[in-house]
Amino acid sequence: MRKLILLTPFIWLLAVSSLQAASSEADRLKGVINAAIEAVYGDCCAELPLKEKQIKVREALESEYDLDVIIRRAIGRSWSLMNAPEQEQVLELVKQLLVKAYVKGMNGESKPEVQLGETIEITGKRMEIPSKVKMDEKTVNVLYRLGRMKSGWQIYDIVAEDISMVANYRQQIDDHFRMGDGQDLINKLNELLTKEDIDEEIQL
Amino acid sequence: MKKYNYNRAVAALLVGACGIASSLHADEDFISEENLYGEQLESGSEISDPLEFINRYTFKFNDFVYLNLVEPLADGYQAVTPDPVEASATNFFRNLKYPVRLAGNLLQGRLEGAWVETGRFAINSTVGVLGFFTPADKMSGFEPIPKEDIGQAFGSWGLGEGPYLILPLLGPSNLRDLGGYLGDRAVNPLDEPFSLIDDWDWEWPVALAVTEFTVASPRLIERYKRLKGTAIDPYGSLKNGYTQFRRAAIEQ
Repeated sequence: MRKLILLTPFIWLLAVSSLQAASSEADRLKGVINAAIEAVYGDCCAELPLKEKQIKVREALESEYDLDVIIRRAIGRSWSLMNAPEQEQVLELVKQLLVKAYVKGMNGESKPEVQLGETIEITGKRMEIPSKVKMDEKTVNVLYRLGRMKSGWQIYDIVAEDISMVANYRQQIDDHFRMGDGQDLINKLNELLTKEDIDEEIQL
Repeated sequence: MKKYNYNRAVAALLVGACGIASSLHADEDFISEENLYGEQLESGSEISDPLEFINRYTFKFNDFVYLNLVEPLADGYQAVTPDPVEASATNFFRNLKYPVRLAGNLLQGRLEGAWVETGRFAINSTVGVLGFFTPADKMSGFEPIPKEDIGQAFGSWGLGEGPYLILPLLGPSNLRDLGGYLGDRAVNPLDEPFSLIDDWDWEWPVALAVTEFTVASPRLIERYKRLKGTAIDPYGSLKNGYTQFRRAAIEQ
């Protein structure tokens, strides 16, 4: 009985600490998502040209999260196949591409509504936050995977409708490095970014 | 003295507990970059693609057809069809696929799923006027459930995916899902070549298939473009996206 009494505060503190981390991370994520949506649909920005919206969205995302984490995980071991200047350029270009895609994807007439679900603690260092995004009568399930890095909790993957963004990019990058090199990847990314409509003209 | 020792022990434990709790935030307790960037991803094993060379050409052909024929068709259909009519047409064709969903559930031993699908079909076909409306969505116990098909059933039996395939016009698949697709057609009484309706002139099934494709085209194009949109290699993106999606559907 005495042992139990002795252990109670210990267990309680652990539980409270981990619950607090989960709930504060959910709040932080919610804040960033709302800020990004506001940068596209808000009164301040709805009329802005796409480029400026992209800048605002990027500012909102980077104010809380390090986008390098998700991109580095997507690149995986292919990272070592590039030299330092190529690595830096690829990081920057993929960031621009992701933000461009994000703003382009927010093309619904109505402002999306995001509802975060219960945080799932995988381990003390990993958690998942499910969400539902409602846009123009459609609902999309999006799962955020977060890991505790030296720099704090960071998003390391986003899974939309069961498709992991990181796994999808890693496949493409691995395939790319079977045939090409870092410079080819930079050229491809530049081409994608300069294209007016990124959906058209595919190169095999 | 004994009480004094006891209090000291409690105090030490509390301090220790605080220490451990706060160590959750300590520097040592984080994922290293090496681990996070180098580890195997959650989405599992690699995708077998021995026919990549042929697949890439079929992909290019499909891409041309999708963007030059299907997309204008989808745009035209959406332009002339009011949204409620579009939604009703989608519902109608979805309702007709009931035998496929029923077979998918039964083959996986999902009796509850089979029951829900049957109930939905009965309600939507009658109260919902031939399936144009979906009153079952609002009925307790008959809300929409994830769609099952025969390819998923094969997967749940442990049948491997086999090589990844790009089918002309139909798009991404794999050997197992191609078998499943043929099975889906076999259990659907309206689909050729296994149609149960003997005295149909060929024009009817063709007209039905074309209409069904037209109705589905806006959704197909939207999904296709979304997946392709930010792709460094659209072929790889589609291959991975399709496989992840199917694997998740089988796991659920």
